[in-house]
Amino acid sequence: MYEFLQYQVRDAMTADPIAIGPDATLREVEALFEAHDFNGVPVVDGHHHLIGVLTKFDLLKAFSFDSHTLVPHYDQIMEQPAEAVMTRDPVSVDQHLPLSRLLQKLVEMHTKSLPVVDNGRLVGIIAREDVLKALRRATLQHELPVHAESSP
Amino acid sequence: MTTLLYTHPACLEHDTGFGHPECPARLTAILNVLRRSPFAALEWRDAPAAEIAQLTRIHPQAHVERLLAQVPRQGHHAIDGDTILSPGSGEAALRAAGAACAAVDAVLNGEANNAFCAIRPPGHHAEPRQAMGFCLFGNTAIGAAHARAAHGLERVAIIDFDVHHGNGTQAAVEQDAGYLYISTHQAHIYPGTGRRNECGVGNIVNLPLMANSGSADLRHVWRQDIEPALREFQPQLIVISAGFDAHYLDPLAELNFNEDDYAWLTGQILAVAADYCEGRVVSLLEGGYNLPALATSVAAHVKALMEAPKAAQRSLVKNILERQKAKRNAAGL
Ligand SMILES: [Zn+2]
Repeated sequence: MYEFLQYQVRDAMTADPIAIGPDATLREVEALFEAHDFNGVPVVDGHHHLIGVLTKFDLLKAFSFDSHTLVPHYDQIMEQPAEAVMTRDPVSVDQHLPLSRLLQKLVEMHTKSLPVVDNGRLVGIIAREDVLKALRRATLQHELPVHAESSP
Repeated sequence: MTTLLYTHPACLEHDTGFGHPECPARLTAILNVLRRSPFAALEWRDAPAAEIAQLTRIHPQAHVERLLAQVPRQGHHAIDGDTILSPGSGEAALRAAGAACAAVDAVLNGEANNAFCAIRPPGHHAEPRQAMGFCLFGNTAIGAAHARAAHGLERVAIIDFDVHHGNGTQAAVEQDAGYLYISTHQAHIYPGTGRRNECGVGNIVNLPLMANSGSADLRHVWRQDIEPALREFQPQLIVISAGFDAHYLDPLAELNFNEDDYAWLTGQILAVAADYCEGRVVSLLEGGYNLPALATSVAAHVKALMEAPKAAQRSLVKNILERQKAKRNAAGL
């Protein structure tokens, strides 16, 4: 486990992730989710600055009961731009954050992944799976030999 | 005394398009249940088309004319994303409003205790100048206005237990203390009106319920708010906007009423009606979009209407007992 404490977010994240612009339609976003099994996608402006996150939860929320119509209308809602339903000012993490602290954040927030930024620019995505993989890698390298010696 | 059932085949000809929840099959499901033997005592009557003069008590004449002119000769015309017209919509809307007036006439002329109008399109979202929310004319408001204008009533109470707030009915009556409008509905859903602080001239009682409210919450607001307001008002007629989309299986909202709740609530309304207006109640169908649940809920409601004399008797006995008790108390016994 000591090795894990040395890791930073950038060691485990997916670098240069797929991102969308604020005017991508929900229809396009859904196609993206369908094709890549993403839970969410970061939204960036023209300078690749992170301005939002759009998750499957946000997509579902767009269809929940509201006071405008009796029945939500699929086509109308799917033509909406990402910026209409995305979560603005999303929580993000710096690429140099220790992975142990990132793990803490994921647990506290019950979230599946977080965008990673460098001075506001999107540089990666870090997900639960990435952290689990890093944990495995950290213990494989240093703790397996100990077990190997103790075996007959 | 009997319970009347007003309906008309024209109400099946209002075609809202493929898959629309406010569909002719709703009415078919209801009428199929009401044709069965437990309802043999119902007296079926054809709903007449409303006269324009009956509509213009609520809607400006120009609006009525414009709406009827929008009815397409073929295909569909969308007033908004929810509200669709087909060639049969004009007559259906006139019959729905006409049912309300005819039922009011029959009940006030003493031809029956009460009446249920199995009609569509529904009416409580239709504002004086704007058709919306599946609704074309404000059937309930039109019926209530007819009772006042044609029969000289001074106090007509409207109870709306559809899961959505009856913005149209409220808009039609909120400036006139001769009406009392009471609505239970789910908060924060369509149409967004119906907050507690919307009081009209003191004649509007809005009781928004949070998602997942059910039987206990209904009973609570009845005791706390509805019954006291009704009794203070001393109605000469009670008109019900009977929507059944607060049922726990309904797909358009998230309240959890069941068939027993509708029977119970109907019984409570009838008991108040028995005390103040000889049991005179006219009930009009509004929403309800799970077909089996709609049919069984309407059955529970209509059964309760048919059993009204019994409820009235119980209420009478209760009154006598209470008066005797009050006398004994006054005498210091
Ligand atoms: Zn409704």
